[in-house]
Amino acid sequence: MKLSKIFTSIITVIASNFSYTTYAADIPLYPTGPSQDSAFVRFINGTDTNFSVVAGDTKSKIALNVNEPPSKYYPVSSKAKITGEFSNGKVSSPISLTVKPGEFATVVALANGSNIKQVIVKEQPDDFNALKSSLALYNLSSSGCASAGLLVVDRAISLFEKVKDGTLQRRLINPVSLSVQLTCNAKPVGKVLDLGLLQAGQRYSVFAVPASDSPRIFFAVDTIAR
Amino acid sequence: MSASSLVGLTFLVIGESHMSLPGYLMDPLHDDLTKQGAMVYSVGACGASAGDWLKKVPVPCGAERSGNGKSTYKGRDATTVPIKELIATDKPDVVVIIIGDTMASYGKPFPQAWAWENVTNLTKEISSTKTKCVWVGPPWGNDGGKYGKTENRVQYMSNFLSNNVSPCTYIDSLKFSKPKQWSTLDGQHFSPAGYQAWGNAITQSLINLPDIKQVKK
Repeated sequence: MKLSKIFTSIITVIASNFSYTTYAADIPLYPTGPSQDSAFVRFINGTDTNFSVVAGDTKSKIALNVNEPPSKYYPVSSKAKITGEFSNGKVSSPISLTVKPGEFATVVALANGSNIKQVIVKEQPDDFNALKSSLALYNLSSSGCASAGLLVVDRAISLFEKVKDGTLQRRLINPVSLSVQLTCNAKPVGKVLDLGLLQAGQRYSVFAVPASDSPRIFFAVDTIAR
Repeated sequence: MSASSLVGLTFLVIGESHMSLPGYLMDPLHDDLTKQGAMVYSVGACGASAGDWLKKVPVPCGAERSGNGKSTYKGRDATTVPIKELIATDKPDVVVIIIGDTMASYGKPFPQAWAWENVTNLTKEISSTKTKCVWVGPPWGNDGGKYGKTENRVQYMSNFLSNNVSPCTYIDSLKFSKPKQWSTLDGQHFSPAGYQAWGNAITQSLINLPDIKQVKK
């Protein structure tokens, strides 16, 4: 290579490096994620009468009808106390909780004689997966079912076992059609619940709550309000 | 490689800072896809996470390029553009998403719930338009730098995305190089040779994806 060409090449490389160094210095520093994880809360009507939840700050109301007992998950600040009230016009119960970053909190209203009581269950999932369905069993049946499970009907497969009262278990399953039945102390109880065709990437919850004779179960798609 | 592997296809490429500054990924990738016969629309927004593409969000810098036109760059006046708006305007056969580093929360606990919600919201929004999508994950960088990128976290982020971007197809950029192979300016952003290599590797992967071959039919 001639000296003049080498000189030109050196100048070009220097100019190029100067150019990129200048751009590098110009890159604005931006965050690569939030300062803390998101947090969510939802409300469940585990009674056999219609209820609503009234938010403590905005007074906005969420209807929790018997035929549609779960709310969506609502994003909340993990720094603030969440307040509100379960109410059906006759009885009410104040709500107060905090939710940590990454937590999904479920606040459940359950019948307690002529009043209601609350159970708060929190989970911090790490099973996010768009190729599978995520299913949880919440045992909220009080003394009616100390050790709950969930059977896949007609397949003799146990999805969950030994879920203690006031707790939940969650697992990933294939996105297929499912009908399930609650078990209490390993014995099937109550009616069969058809979950339909589960979708990949979707999260679901089955709730076991007290009922007059034996605990009953119902089903929610864990959607997030936008 | 055939000179017409992507003829007849329209690509919309959106991405983070890697797609937003002169000498970065936008031009090499846009040029490579165009050489393969594709019509390409590229839009970059520095620091934009997946959820920021559902609405118009101000970002510190950005860029855009259409077809054979030149890239235009913006500073503080840059914004994201809602993905549905971009899809309605550009009518792509395939949306290519280049987001990873800006959601990896380097130096902080990984925000699983936030990342899941962000990624899922964007993939659902795109799939609601019945447009194919491909998500290109983050590449190796150099540990440290002003963003605090680490090999462990970028591997974690890549695994997270591979599990969560469906129905988009995932392209794992970590397979394109070895850690530290492509030199960086700041631990995260590459020198031109790195961006050229990354752009070439993405294009080659796109050409070979069964999803893309299916779209061509």
